[in-house]
Amino acid sequence: MTRNSTLHIILALLIGLGLGLAYSWFLSPVTYVDANPSILRADFKDQYRVVIAASYQSTQDLARARARLSLLGDADPIGALSAQAQRMLAAGESFEKVRPLAQLATDLQLGYVSNLNTPTPLPTSLNTPQVESTVGGTDTSPNVTEEAQGTSIPTLFFEQTPFVPTFSETITPRPVATSTLAFGAPFALVGQESFCEPSKPALMQLMFMDSRRNQVAGVEIIVTWNQGEDKFFTGFKPELGNGYADFVMQADTIYNIRIVTGGSFVPNISASICTEPNGFQYLGGVLLTFQQP
Amino acid sequence: MSSSHLIKIFIALAIGIALGLIYGWVIDPIEYVDVTPNILRQDYQVDYVLMTAEGFQHDFDSETAARKLAILGSESPAIITANALEYAIANNFTETEIQYLQTLLTAMQTYSP
Repeated sequence: MTRNSTLHIILALLIGLGLGLAYSWFLSPVTYVDANPSILRADFKDQYRVVIAASYQSTQDLARARARLSLLGDADPIGALSAQAQRMLAAGESFEKVRPLAQLATDLQLGYVSNLNTPTPLPTSLNTPQVESTVGGTDTSPNVTEEAQGTSIPTLFFEQTPFVPTFSETITPRPVATSTLAFGAPFALVGQESFCEPSKPALMQLMFMDSRRNQVAGVEIIVTWNQGEDKFFTGFKPELGNGYADFVMQADTIYNIRIVTGGSFVPNISASICTEPNGFQYLGGVLLTFQQP
Repeated sequence: MSSSHLIKIFIALAIGIALGLIYGWVIDPIEYVDVTPNILRQDYQVDYVLMTAEGFQHDFDSETAARKLAILGSESPAIITANALEYAIANNFTETEIQYLQTLLTAMQTYSP
């Protein structure tokens, strides 16, 4: 074999390799049909977290919520939840929408269900004898047959309503669950101390605890001053505590704090001046501790 | 150029193409990121619908549930839920989970945006 023909063969091999790669990468790449949630686009991951948190709010199944979150492949699932909650608040979403995320982040941090839910039970046994209905709105729907067993219940504490699919034009309104967060007695200011830490200049730190000194997430706080107002909640920095919230103050400004949840009011909070031994001056912080009696 | 030489070149070309395809499809295939939920594996999609159904048990908000389901594709929320229910029944989901899915299915069938 001459040197020339060897070159031809190598060249043909390389051209073939290039053609094969071009076909497999560009013309007919591997098609994903069974993807897992970890490669979802960021906005869909956000939506996935919202759905996980909403599910957790209903089922209170922390282990399952943790397992579902792990599917997203976040290095720090709690941090991802907290960050998303803060992004949603910053985007103007209502706290009611954000609360499940914050609650899930808090409970994952705690390791237990901190806010036991008592959902309104749906009647599982009906007093309608042998109601049988076939669900199938369109031709493509599977034929799902619901069979309600006719078992009479002697005493019920709510009005019995047969819970069967109805196809009449009048839609029976579903019961609307209300938020089950119950904060109890108003929070009282039990501690106020100024501190000087150059790493936390002008930081107003607020800590909320219940009567058993457990930190409380989801407390709504409104801070007002002569030129504005800010509203925030505890629990969005679980790494600092579930009952923690903070706010950066400005110099020469008096702040009034209103605890929406519980109705407490703390006036005249301001940043003090701290002086380092070398004469360097900066604004100090203040730690306010609230507790339910 | 002799015919045997041409045959060798074609064989080399074919081997190159085969190697390229193996590398591009098996050894180092294109990695997808930022995918949409409609290509999630079926069990993940069903679990997503189940989570929506569980959340629906808390707020009974059909509009929110329908919006959550909409990211799973262009089919109607009722069909997406029906498919999930069919999968759940076939794969021995718990009675509670099937009940949740049935409740959601009923709501989605009567829901009009």
